[in-house]
Amino acid sequence: MADESLLSDDLLRQLVATGHVDILVGVPTLNNASTVVDVVRAAQGGLGNYFPRARALIFNADSGSDDGTPTLVRDATTDDTGTVIASRPLRTAHRITTPYHGLPGKGSAMRMIFAVADLLSADAVVVLDPNVTSMTPEWIPALAGPIRDGRADLVAPWYPRAATDAPLVTQLVRPLVRAAYGWTLYEPLMGECGCSRTFATHCLESPAWGTAVMPENVDVWMAAEAMAAGFRPAQSALGVRLVGPSRKRPALPDVFQQVMDAVCACLDLHESYWLTRGQAEPVPCFGTLSGAPESFGARPDVAGMADAFARDVAALHPVLETILSAATLAGVTAAAALPSAVEYDDDLWATTVFEFLLAYHRGVMSREHVMQTLLPLYLGRTAAFLMRHASSGPATLDAALESLCLAFERAKPPAAALWKKA
Amino acid sequence: MTQMVADAVRQAGVNFWDTVAMLLPRILITASIVAVGWIIAWALKWAVRWILIWSRFNHFCERIGVSAVLKTADLPAPDILVSLIVFWLVWIGFLLSGVDVLGFTALEGMVRAFAQFVPRLLVAIVILVAGVVCANFAWRATLIAAVNARVPSPRVVSGAVRALVLILAGAMALDQIAVARTIVLTAFAIAFGAVMLGLAIAFGVGGGGIARRILDHWFPEHPPQEREEFRHL
Repeated sequence: MADESLLSDDLLRQLVATGHVDILVGVPTLNNASTVVDVVRAAQGGLGNYFPRARALIFNADSGSDDGTPTLVRDATTDDTGTVIASRPLRTAHRITTPYHGLPGKGSAMRMIFAVADLLSADAVVVLDPNVTSMTPEWIPALAGPIRDGRADLVAPWYPRAATDAPLVTQLVRPLVRAAYGWTLYEPLMGECGCSRTFATHCLESPAWGTAVMPENVDVWMAAEAMAAGFRPAQSALGVRLVGPSRKRPALPDVFQQVMDAVCACLDLHESYWLTRGQAEPVPCFGTLSGAPESFGARPDVAGMADAFARDVAALHPVLETILSAATLAGVTAAAALPSAVEYDDDLWATTVFEFLLAYHRGVMSREHVMQTLLPLYLGRTAAFLMRHASSGPATLDAALESLCLAFERAKPPAAALWKKA
Repeated sequence: MTQMVADAVRQAGVNFWDTVAMLLPRILITASIVAVGWIIAWALKWAVRWILIWSRFNHFCERIGVSAVLKTADLPAPDILVSLIVFWLVWIGFLLSGVDVLGFTALEGMVRAFAQFVPRLLVAIVILVAGVVCANFAWRATLIAAVNARVPSPRVVSGAVRALVLILAGAMALDQIAVARTIVLTAFAIAFGAVMLGLAIAFGVGGGGIARRILDHWFPEHPPQEREEFRHL
């Protein structure tokens, strides 16, 4: 049952006027004026083209934008875009935009979207990232289809990734979450996703709201919660994911800290689940990725990253001594010895990450310090991977990423045993 | 004459035996106090050590960085050190009480002075431990932040921060136990002032260009075009 205190009286009136919906498309926003119109148009196009008979609502929860984002969402139409709607929708896709109160962050917006989905008994909920510039109408059926067909409770996105694309996901979060939770989920940091009402209600009733896990870390928490609570995860092939310029992008140390805090908070929360999980089970994939992954945006300075890795490992040696075992530290030091040819292999990287997690869990020092110390090693590992695979073909790249995930799966059992003892 | 000498010797002997008769019980009492004090101090030492081991005190000290400092200074593990401090404080207390029983004028008041000194010593130890903890935290935070922010010579910068906090804590601890207070304060003020002046002159003379670049970067005349950076997400 929705917590009505999350919803203002005015919003409740609008929701009651809307009535039951089949599909709820949630768009949490904060100053996304430059990109949000295309996202709303893509949502409208997707609903009109693929779900013409469905009662739908596009619900925008705004975190207090001062650039006119809510007005743009309200006024966005498909008429002037040239978007072709193949089958004329038989029902109007309602649109509501509302500010939310409480803690800023995507978590609060998601909570409101779940409350609305619960109140309107939506069969499927789709959440879209308002900062994506490459969204097409096809993303809506890709995310909502498996839910509507009853084939999944949570549909995660599946993007084609080049070697240089989102290394924080491919080198760290994906293999770590896969090894821990035992599911081959490609994108645990789901920018977009679809979920069933059952799962939305489950999330809404979770005691995790108001804890350290929320509100910033809702994406990875949703994925982890679905796996840990026995819901059926799935992933749908979407196109390339390009994001627009945000007004103020946080620096890498802040992003890294936030992501790793989220993952670690989930591991703490789901300790009883992941410590007993074995080899990863495949998550069903819907659709196929079209075309070879391409590299977008700025190119990484691999040589600079490798040089920095050598310097950073030397500088951080006294801190690394308290986190890593002697053997792992020796391996990392040896890997950093030759900046021109950094060799940070899969097994060493997997062991490094798990030893950092153990240090985080045991609290050998401030948790923030533990994760900030991992950042230079992550950059070193990324440099090593890019030196070898920057120009690899899709098949080689997939094999390399699969090999990395398997290395994490091999490193998990001893780490889990130590975690239990700690 | 002979009689006088014999009387004097006899009197001296009587006096000696009187003194011995008067002091012997006191010496025995002192010896008993010292012996019992040693046993109590020893028992307390082991009790404290057992409690510290049971409460994983060493693990806590490792977390806050005290163990590393003790190791560097070639001192025993934290639980052993604390139990030794307890042992010596208790035993010295009993020792001085025992000495007080002897009634030597020169040693009178030592117990009272010691009783007044112990709380100050404990506060000084607490200040020192807190200083070490703060220094280590500041050192690690500075080192990690400097590495991630690509600041040149991060270990020098973080080492300087740690030294500064440790010197400050040391000066405060010495001031607390009132050891050569004037000398400590004067030496600290002179040394601190000299270091700061030296740094200011060195930066002003040798790092003028760097300072200009930093100021230009912080307060640009024309905001630079946003350079697209590699995205990790």
